[in-house]
Amino acid sequence: MENKFDRGSALSIFSSDRKEDLIALICALAIAAVVYFTVK
Amino acid sequence: MVYTKKNPALFIIGLIMLAIWWGADSGILGGFVDHLNNVASPGKTKYSYMDEMSSIPMYFGIVAIVFGLWQLVGSHKEGSFDYFSSSVAGAMFILVIAMLVRWFIAPEIQAISIGMGKVGETGSYIHKLLGLNYVVIGIVVGMIIVNVFSVPEWAQNGVRLSRLGLKTGVILLGTLYSLAELKNLGQLSVVLIGIFVLGSVGMVLWIGARRNIPNSMGGVLSAGMGVCGVSATVAAAPVVQAKSVEIAYTIGTILIWGVGCMFIFPIIGQLLGMSYVQFGAWAGTGILNSAQVAGAALAFQPDGIETLKVAEIFNITRVLFLPIIVLWLAVWYVKREGGTQVVGVGQVVISKFPLFVIGFILMFALSSTGIFAPAQHYKGKYFDNSNVKAEKMLKSEDVATLSAEIDKIQRNDQKEALSRLIQNGKVSSVDDDVLLRGVVNGKMLSKDATNILKNAHKSVWHTAKKVKKFRQWITWLFAFGLVGLGMQITIGAMKQAGGQPAVIGGIVGFVKAFLSLVVVMMFVSEKI
Repeated sequence: MENKFDRGSALSIFSSDRKEDLIALICALAIAAVVYFTVK
Repeated sequence: MVYTKKNPALFIIGLIMLAIWWGADSGILGGFVDHLNNVASPGKTKYSYMDEMSSIPMYFGIVAIVFGLWQLVGSHKEGSFDYFSSSVAGAMFILVIAMLVRWFIAPEIQAISIGMGKVGETGSYIHKLLGLNYVVIGIVVGMIIVNVFSVPEWAQNGVRLSRLGLKTGVILLGTLYSLAELKNLGQLSVVLIGIFVLGSVGMVLWIGARRNIPNSMGGVLSAGMGVCGVSATVAAAPVVQAKSVEIAYTIGTILIWGVGCMFIFPIIGQLLGMSYVQFGAWAGTGILNSAQVAGAALAFQPDGIETLKVAEIFNITRVLFLPIIVLWLAVWYVKREGGTQVVGVGQVVISKFPLFVIGFILMFALSSTGIFAPAQHYKGKYFDNSNVKAEKMLKSEDVATLSAEIDKIQRNDQKEALSRLIQNGKVSSVDDDVLLRGVVNGKMLSKDATNILKNAHKSVWHTAKKVKKFRQWITWLFAFGLVGLGMQITIGAMKQAGGQPAVIGGIVGFVKAFLSLVVVMMFVSEKI
């Protein structure tokens, strides 16, 4: 996919893989917390 | 550059989501559900998405409508907020398609497949054997959209969020496994799988380099051929900068190779007179997709599940090697792309090792502590016969039915397991459960007796609610990511990739199947 954006890459809106990984990690931890506290 | 487009599409997507929710909540979709149930299993209710449909589209529909109105009437200025908030439209576009795939398209395809009946002795339906689930269908639908209609401009920024969804899904995959379960694996299975996983990865990389395929293609194909299926492919892809088309090719190669193996493996197994354990070890090593491993094992031993159990153990073991493979590929890729530059392993680990794989290990560690489910769980299921409710214990009429039929069973170990069940009123151990499932699969007893055994099995196996919820999240994140991935695969990109991945996958798959057969025949005895 050709990159038509002036930020990120053709495959990601984030400027680096590390940033994308970090956001994924934060999302996963948030989901885990929600599941842990809401599902009995 | 202002990314937010003044377009009513997001608002309309919100309305579609609310319409789905309303249809499910008001019962209007009942006709469609009845149609699916009648085709798939007359008289039974199998459609299990009504709960999801009664909540998920409502929440996201409201978000889409609010954002859609704001995008339409608000004023937008260049900046980070505009850049990131503009991705909501594309994300919702992918999500609504994922909803249609999961709730309508995939179940319809499955209903048609079930209507066509089971394939030979595999005991499976064609959609299972071909892996026609939301994963494959999602990619195909995404590909159709981009190649036939093209991704609308307002959605393009959001389509680039698909990889984030896949990475989050891989991290959460760690919650499905636990150390206690993996500790039960036989040492031989770990050694055997380790050799073949690492060997396959090495072989794909070696052949790929000789056939001049891009490093990114070789890297992602090696993970798919070495470890197994979609998760490994997705986990390895960012490390080797794999393109969407390369990920799709890898998944396609794995599935096509698995279909062939599923039919050929049982024939060879029978010709060579392999034992259940030998065949289970071979299928679990040589075939990549979990459903196809199960299909081959059941085709080899339709009247018991010993083969299936061994094959599953070998299949599970592969996941242990995922972090090792990702680390290997990270170092390999940096070295290959870096040319003559000398690169240290430590340097690569610090700069390149993906945080999301560390996240996977972290979730695996958390899961092993038992905070989501009893520590011995595997994919949220665990055996516990300590507090079976009184109404779930065998009743006197059940005992009478089973006692009258016990002599129909030929194998002594299965007979003894049934005796213990009759004596205790519940399944005594995991081993007994395996033996009794073999009796059920073998259709040795009457329908009534078989149903009693099925209920006895259900009463001692439990599903952890938290892990069940995690599975639901993982499914959605993967569905979201793979529809978006499909939207990045153009016909031009497929032509560019050519047929090399399938050729290399075929060579490596054949060598792996042959060598694992030799090793299994030489070293695997009846007991592991």
